[in-house]
Amino acid sequence: MTNNANARPRRQLTLQKKQNLTGWIFLLPATILIVWMSFYPMVRAFIVSLQRGKPTALQFSEPLWRNYERMLQDKVFVQSLINTFTYLIIQVPIMLVLALIFASLLNMKDLKFKGIFRTCIFLPCATALVSYSIIFRTMFSYDGMVNAVLVSMHILKEPVNWLNDPIGAKAVIIIALIWRWTGYNMVFYLSSMQSIDYSIYEAARIDGAGAWTQLTKITMPLLKPIILVTAIMSTNGTLQLYDESVNLTNGGPANMSITMSHYIYNTTFVTSPNFGYAAAMSFVILLFVAVLSGIQMKVGDKR
Amino acid sequence: MKKILSVLLVLTLVLSLTPLALAEEDGKIVIWTWDPKFNIAAMNIAADMYHVDHPDVEIEVQEVLSDDIEQNVATAATAGDLSTLPDIMLCQDNSFQKMVTNYPEVYTDLTDLYDFEGFGPAKQAYSIIDGRHYGIPFDAGTVVGAYRTDYLEQAGYTIDDLKDITWDRLIEIGKDVKEKTGYPMFSGQAGSVDAIMIMLQSCGASMFNEDGSVNLKDNEPLKEVVADYMAMVEAGVFVEVNSWDEYIGTLSNGSVVGTFNGCWILATILSLDDQAGKWDITNMPKLANAEGATNYSNNGGSSWAITQGTDVDLAVDFMQMYRNVEFYNAILPTTSAIATFSPAKEGEAYSAPSEFFNGTPIFATILEFGEQVPSNITGAYYYDARNAVSTAVTNAMNGGDIDAELATAEDTVNFAMGF
Amino acid sequence: MSGAFRKNLKWALIYLFLIIASLISVFPLYWAFVSAFNNTQQILGGSMIPHGDLLTNIRNLMDQAAVLTAFKNSTVNTLLVLVLSLTVCSIAGYGFEIYHDKWKDRVMGILMLSMMVPFVAILVPMFQMFSGMGLMNKAMGFVLPSISTPFLIMLFRSNARAFPKEIIEAARIDGLNEAQIFVRMFIPTMRPTYAAAATITFMNTWNAYLWPRVIMKSNEAITMPMLVSNLMGGYVIDYGVVMAGVTICTLPTVIIFFFLQKSFTEAIAGSVK
Repeated sequence: MTNNANARPRRQLTLQKKQNLTGWIFLLPATILIVWMSFYPMVRAFIVSLQRGKPTALQFSEPLWRNYERMLQDKVFVQSLINTFTYLIIQVPIMLVLALIFASLLNMKDLKFKGIFRTCIFLPCATALVSYSIIFRTMFSYDGMVNAVLVSMHILKEPVNWLNDPIGAKAVIIIALIWRWTGYNMVFYLSSMQSIDYSIYEAARIDGAGAWTQLTKITMPLLKPIILVTAIMSTNGTLQLYDESVNLTNGGPANMSITMSHYIYNTTFVTSPNFGYAAAMSFVILLFVAVLSGIQMKVGDKR
Repeated sequence: MKKILSVLLVLTLVLSLTPLALAEEDGKIVIWTWDPKFNIAAMNIAADMYHVDHPDVEIEVQEVLSDDIEQNVATAATAGDLSTLPDIMLCQDNSFQKMVTNYPEVYTDLTDLYDFEGFGPAKQAYSIIDGRHYGIPFDAGTVVGAYRTDYLEQAGYTIDDLKDITWDRLIEIGKDVKEKTGYPMFSGQAGSVDAIMIMLQSCGASMFNEDGSVNLKDNEPLKEVVADYMAMVEAGVFVEVNSWDEYIGTLSNGSVVGTFNGCWILATILSLDDQAGKWDITNMPKLANAEGATNYSNNGGSSWAITQGTDVDLAVDFMQMYRNVEFYNAILPTTSAIATFSPAKEGEAYSAPSEFFNGTPIFATILEFGEQVPSNITGAYYYDARNAVSTAVTNAMNGGDIDAELATAEDTVNFAMGF
Repeated sequence: MSGAFRKNLKWALIYLFLIIASLISVFPLYWAFVSAFNNTQQILGGSMIPHGDLLTNIRNLMDQAAVLTAFKNSTVNTLLVLVLSLTVCSIAGYGFEIYHDKWKDRVMGILMLSMMVPFVAILVPMFQMFSGMGLMNKAMGFVLPSISTPFLIMLFRSNARAFPKEIIEAARIDGLNEAQIFVRMFIPTMRPTYAAAATITFMNTWNAYLWPRVIMKSNEAITMPMLVSNLMGGYVIDYGVVMAGVTICTLPTVIIFFFLQKSFTEAIAGSVK
């Protein structure tokens, strides 16, 4: 009797333990790979961030955090920091809301040609950088299409040399980013929306809820986990932005649109290499992304 | 589902273990360079000519972009594993000092291994570090002024009116031509400072002093250059565009009268079939006040380096091809690669007139220009200084004070140098 | 009557919006495609209609670049990453969500740090590791760093949240072990997520550029994006050839997306319920 009574909970405990262990085994391959392929090089890079000197003769700097201290006096770095955060604050929210709107529209039951619309809106992120950067530069050039349209619609009084203007250049980068990544994020929203039943929307419609209410009161709460994932990914992507800064504006005019990653790349390979300083700047990016992701997780990942 | 997955997994493993390339063997020269129509083609011709006497040596020319070569040298040297580098690689002249200074263990000192007699001194200066030679000169970046003679004619000028002139005179002519034809004289990429660097070198001035210290704040020639440049832009004689493609576009669409740039720009102009016979070349304008001002300068160009620890003797033996007049004559028709090796100009290919350029023997002309180019100091921090000057000029164009901006630029470079 | 009119107007506006958005989205790709038919002068002159230079461009492209080799390499590399990465990351994502506890959540948080450092910073140590392991120029060298990504793990983890726990309980009672539950229950249910993940992974891997440039050095190991950027490296850029290269490089992603988008949006409506 007593034996039996004791055995049952113990067996359940071992079952739970077994499941717990299975869980760890499921994580193992991915975790090992990440530790091996990312954390190990990251530790090495962190050590480099405490060093200075020629790339092949690095020595620990005095004081150790010298490279980190140096950043505050570096005008180009500070400018790149301001630029990058400007992109982040403006671009990420607009892009994610747009992606949600597209996903909701393209998830509508009665919509025709869904496949074609979805493909079209996804395509920007698959478009080669070469072709889209040439097109964007041409469209936003002084005698380009954008100026022609805006002037003829009387939105602008006279043409703007977008890429040669501190605000214009940033605007072009933000527009390019939204153009390029909205469809990408839409894909995740679409795939997650499949787990939402159409009948919920029908019930809401009967209750008189409009499209916006349906989006904010039904879709967004149900998609919260995936919205969180995309928010973290976009924050990360924008803080590490490189392509657009190099190819659209080359950081100009006068570093007014350069991003942190672009500056880090220049410091590593274009100008006389300073590996220690570049590594230190990289860890500052890590810090920013980590803190922002942490905040996003706190806000969005409540079970 | 499971079956497909396991088949795919097995396939994956098999494929992943198959090497895509074989390891390097002895008696083989591997070369990294980047332009199939230009330096790759030249190297292939060199290989063919070398094979006549050395049939056993295998020569493999691999296409690696210039930026990638620099990046690969950096990673390989830092990781302490030079085995991934080729025997010979091409390097941009402007990067040479930076690369050798930072990765000295990669580059072979060729001073006692190679004969540098006959190569232009300004060209050699790019790859001499602390008095030692590290590069075998390849193509010249000698600056030419190339103009549309049909546009000039419309405004009542000939190509000779643009020969041996100063920038002041150029601006006068440019204003006149623009008034009569509507076309600006030149175009260039905003912020790239190519034009400014060309103008600066034309009087033998540099962004650095002999001792390697930065020289921007009190650099009188530089100030004259920036003033001339800004005057050109303000007068509408020089139109700034935002990218390289747009710059090439202004030439191919015929929306500018001409350009001044490294002679390699002629290859682009030559590809514009519908403009044949409408172009001609002469030298570039010079600074009016600077000491040692000339009508000659350089932009671009590259030199070959040999990696340490490889079969240096074999590589050096092969590179004797670059002292061979016959070789230069062989590569000229297909690549338009203009040598920096003076004896080459005696070759037939060099003196041939070019119909595209109104019958001017462009190659011989450029070689002659090349001999008169003053040398300048690039140094390891060339690109740091260039970026800083670019920022200064952009700010000055937007109303900043050029003296203050150049002082800031000097601080920026000093900051980078003080790592 | 007016209700029907308003409804029609609403649909008209939705279609108009989607059509405009689609046109803006496709325009640069359309232009690249059209430009593959044009020569440099037409391209830089801003021509939006195809002319007759397609064959010349393709012939020149074939002459100066190893398109077939690059296409083959890109295909092999991408398929390898696709299979390995989807397998490893979906298992991990499932593990993190279904067996989640405080410790696993913490591990997830730490793993996420790995994507937050710019790649330039870890490039040298990575190179050192890979040249030490003799993986230069090998497909495995290309593949290894992209198999396990926090992003895909997160994607599977967050979508696994919608996977009904009752199914798992029922399956356990039926005597299925944990691996069987994953293969027989989870994979079929999560087809939309797999399809979305496959699309994104395909695109990212196919277009990968920074890492292959470091690890793939011989001409035989070249990938499509490397080939396209090689076309831009010389003194004279033939934009017609570049655009022909760009078109060939982009088409596979377009095709893959078009065929996969159905499966991540329509196929499973019934299976979750």
